Amino acid sequence: MRTYIGLVWAIARKDLLVEFRTWERLTSMGAFVVLIGLLFNFSIDRSVVQPQDIAAALIWMTIIFVGMLGMGRTFQLEEQDSALTGILQSPIPLDALYLGKVLGNFVLLSVMVVLVFVVFTAFFNLRLAGNPYTLFGVVALGVLGFVSLNTLFSAMATRSSMGESLLPVLVFPFLVPVVVYGTTATDRLFAGRPFAEVVGNLRMLGAFAILFTVAGAVLFRFVVEE
Amino acid sequence: MSQKQIRWAIGVLGTLGIAAVIVLHWMVFFWVPTESTMGIVQRIFYIHVPAWWIAFLGFGLVALCSAMYLWIGDERLDRAAVAGAAAGMVFTTIGLLTGPLWGRVAWGTWWEWEPRLTSALILWFIYLGYFLVRRSTENPEQGKRFAAVVGVIGVLDIPLIHVSVTWLRSLHPQAVILNPDGLA
Repeated sequence: MRTYIGLVWAIARKDLLVEFRTWERLTSMGAFVVLIGLLFNFSIDRSVVQPQDIAAALIWMTIIFVGMLGMGRTFQLEEQDSALTGILQSPIPLDALYLGKVLGNFVLLSVMVVLVFVVFTAFFNLRLAGNPYTLFGVVALGVLGFVSLNTLFSAMATRSSMGESLLPVLVFPFLVPVVVYGTTATDRLFAGRPFAEVVGNLRMLGAFAILFTVAGAVLFRFVVEE
Repeated sequence: MSQKQIRWAIGVLGTLGIAAVIVLHWMVFFWVPTESTMGIVQRIFYIHVPAWWIAFLGFGLVALCSAMYLWIGDERLDRAAVAGAAAGMVFTTIGLLTGPLWGRVAWGTWWEWEPRLTSALILWFIYLGYFLVRRSTENPEQGKRFAAVVGVIGVLDIPLIHVSVTWLRSLHPQAVILNPDGLA
């Protein structure tokens, strides 16, 4: 068990090290978050609607778009250098490889989620009236479910002739539960509603995250095997 | 079965199928009585409802055969899954086209975010993804595996999607067009 976790961590660490040395994905994702916040600001007519009223929706859409931008490249480095063949020939179990990739992506996207909240709070003058820890739970579970699915499908997209253009068509239909439960819970927490009103959302987001992390780990080998 | 027998079976089943479709349409327009509250528009049910049954049957077949294909790797299972997906896609399209025709008269609107309608639209896109991913690889075997993975993920996600859109709908104001109480 310990070795297995070690393998998962080794994969995640490798990805994160490459990323924090080059800042390739982080730079483009970070710039995307700030710029989309800027564009959202200009796209809202404040005489009709207040940004606070639709903030949760904007936040979740930004998380998903920036996730698509970053996760699409999950396997690109390996594919370009044919490094995936090397990893596939190593004795590492494929589910550990998948979970390592999910963990790496989860950390990366979490960094971006923090930036999303900072930028949107500043731009739209948001005030969280609810419990911040509950919001943390909602976002962490939603992001984990999203990342699990996205990592599996990005492995497919990278190996297909359509590349990244295939990814949104594959991922978006499956993301409906994350958007529904994530957005409503975030909305309610910003409005200061009690924990009892979001506990159902937390459960569903948790179920989604566990289901697709396990399913991804089981199905991953069918995606990468030659 | 030999090629000749297969061609013969396709001919017989095809002819029977076309005949049944013609008889069905004759019955819909001339044989069944007009429903008393909804009127003539209710007749679309005889096309719409079975279309959904077949669409869901198709998706069930895709999920089952995809999972079995990944497990056993028998080519016939992949062919059955594609047949299910093709039928599912066609009948989901029929359901999505006939639903709004009825909804325009019954609800007063072309589109409602009604849970079944919403889930069906999402299902259509999952089928689209299934076919796109299948054709997107140079190695056909890989495309088949990718599609099977989409089929399995689909059957896991569809119940969650349906529950989520039903729950979201319960938060929204309900349609009042056909509600006997009307606007309060």
